[in-house]
Amino acid sequence: MLKITNLKAEVDGKEILRGINLEVKPGEIHAIMGPNGSGKSTLASVLAGRDIFKVTGGKVEFKGKNLLNLIPEERSREGIFLAFQYPVEIPGVSITNFMRAAVDEHRKHKGLDPMNASQFLRYMKEKKALVELDAKLEGRAVNEGFSGGEKKKNEIFQMAMLEPDLAILDETDSGLDIDALKVVANGVNKLKTKENAAIVITHYQRLLDYIVPDIIHVLYNGRIVKTGGRELALELEKYGYDEIKKEADKRF
Amino acid sequence: MTQTNIKNKTFVDLYSGTEDFLLPHTVRKKSVNLFDKIKLPDNKTENWRKFKSEPIFEHHYSLGKKLNVDTKDLDSLSFFEPSGNYVILVNGFFYSGNVKKPDLNNNVFIGSLKDAQKTHPEIISDRLHVQNAKTENYFSVLNDAYAKDGAFVYVPENVILDEPIYIMHFIQSDNGNIFSQNRNLIIAGKNTAFKIIHTYHSLSSDFSFNNSITDIFADENAQLEYYLFEGEGNTAAHINHININSEKGSSFKSNIVTFCGSAVRNNFYAEFKNEHAAVDLQGIYMPDKEQTVDNFIEINHAKPNCRSNQVFKGIIDNKAVAVFTGKVFVARDAQKTDSAQSNQNLLLTDYARIHSRPQLEIYADDVICSHGSTTGQLDKEALFYMKTRGVPEKRAKTMLMKAFLRDVTDKINADRYREYVNFLISKRLKGQSPESLCAVKVCPSC
Ligand SMILES: Nc1ncnc2c1ncn2[C@@H]1O[C@H](COP(=O)(O)OP(=O)(O)O)[C@@H](O)[C@H]1O
Ligand SMILES: [Mg+2]
Repeated sequence: MLKITNLKAEVDGKEILRGINLEVKPGEIHAIMGPNGSGKSTLASVLAGRDIFKVTGGKVEFKGKNLLNLIPEERSREGIFLAFQYPVEIPGVSITNFMRAAVDEHRKHKGLDPMNASQFLRYMKEKKALVELDAKLEGRAVNEGFSGGEKKKNEIFQMAMLEPDLAILDETDSGLDIDALKVVANGVNKLKTKENAAIVITHYQRLLDYIVPDIIHVLYNGRIVKTGGRELALELEKYGYDEIKKEADKRF
Repeated sequence: MTQTNIKNKTFVDLYSGTEDFLLPHTVRKKSVNLFDKIKLPDNKTENWRKFKSEPIFEHHYSLGKKLNVDTKDLDSLSFFEPSGNYVILVNGFFYSGNVKKPDLNNNVFIGSLKDAQKTHPEIISDRLHVQNAKTENYFSVLNDAYAKDGAFVYVPENVILDEPIYIMHFIQSDNGNIFSQNRNLIIAGKNTAFKIIHTYHSLSSDFSFNNSITDIFADENAQLEYYLFEGEGNTAAHINHININSEKGSSFKSNIVTFCGSAVRNNFYAEFKNEHAAVDLQGIYMPDKEQTVDNFIEINHAKPNCRSNQVFKGIIDNKAVAVFTGKVFVARDAQKTDSAQSNQNLLLTDYARIHSRPQLEIYADDVICSHGSTTGQLDKEALFYMKTRGVPEKRAKTMLMKAFLRDVTDKINADRYREYVNFLISKRLKGQSPESLCAVKVCPSC
């Protein structure tokens, strides 16, 4: 589904991604872990099409297409979804109107007619129930005045609305208490199918107790320095990143 | 005529041989003389620096005729309800044609100010020329000297009206450019509550210049909502003076939408004549091409315990220029004044300009006065966020711009009018030109 080959990217002339290789197949959940500042969010942003990051080398193939040639809205309609580490507040735009526009555009891309108002409201209600989103949120402006937990839940709700092929969850666990974490993880698990895939970015292994990955990568200093199974998360939990850092610093 | 004011002939000559002016002879005489001396505002005139008066004088005008407006032709003004109470003026003259008589008891008057001078002589003479000398300028003096008619709305004590009163001005030329003046008087008597929807439109595309004054009196405990719509075409200049006199306990809530006009200048002057009164001024302007919109606001907190609030938002496109000046004066004994001011602007191009400046003059010490001004582009983070959900850039921008104006439009408390304004804003933000949207004959639902 997704094939990243030797991807390099910089911001303000500073190289952040220094040759990333990663392949994600349908049905898989990958976790990307790593210390702060190692480039996890940058990778997510580059995949979503953020233009402040300049791709200086490498390729990204998504469902057989050159992803880097697509603008962000096209990537979304093709099936990429980024749950932001810091969801943006949009005063004056209600979640309902926002999702209405997004779902419209996704349907248009698939050659489907827009839903009528009552269909749309029913669809939204269904998805809200699925991710246990508080009903009060829908009349409010997107993320405006939301608590950290509400913002993260709102990301998962949007993901449910758009049913992406590849979801990239950037630190969706950070700032959540254990109950909120369970709700968020639950939502992600419910949305998981054999056809879609997810990349779960996290700093801590805690989330991985609830969203169980098939493969874990450690990103450090713009490179994936280690890849392994579930046991890698437990190892990191025990010993921290120091060993991996030392080893990587020797190699590069 | 003095050398400097040779330009005055543009207007004065139009009136030679005519009579029937609005102001009493003695007042007029002073104004006529003063007009001869007063300086035309230019880029050195305090409070007028950014407003270009020159183009107004590049045209020859006529006063236009009393032409017909068939209310059936006003379908495109979807906020207007012909079954409601309204006064229509064409080229500044009261139009009585097939307009139905206001259907009101309680001695409410809605009609021509000139006519009302005969039926309500005392009420009018007491209020017609109490404008503070501070607000006097070239154009207000021109109006004092030569205005012939306008709308008069008088709602006597204790009357509460649920339906809005419409004051509608049309410019209509049969041939050539129109110079129009109107002088409106709105009196909200003690304990009254009502809404006014005051609109300006063009029915023709020749150049026009409209010089208006509206004097508004909010008497004790009056609750007045005043919605002003400026939609004369983009070959129209409009200089509009709105003077508000707020008595004890009164509330004046206003919303001004400046949608069209090549050059529009709004002079607001609000004065608290007594305590515990409130004035809320909200405004939206969306100039395009080479339009200029200049809002000059002056609030005189002459008395203690009053509240004023200004919220003006602009979206400025192409090479348009917007000016916002928010002046707040707080007198020495106007303690417990609460005054807030905010001006926010979005510039859509590198050529669009905004000149925004607060001017606070505060002589009392126990007051709350806040002001803030922001100018920027659309929030790039929000745009990217929306795009990652599949919303294309253009649609996302439109949504963000509508959202930017929403807190102002949401406060329009007259449903049909609010819908009309939202409709125009949507169309405008989707790229339709202001002139096509302001043309009265367009079909709004298609
Ligand atoms: N917009 C930006 N401008 C400049 N530097 C940035 C920007 N975004 C990220 N960086 C830098 O890139 C590096 C990686 O950041 P990030 O991808 O956010 O790391 P992570 O998500 O792994 O914590 C950091 O050194 C950070 O300071
Ligand atoms: Mg990060």
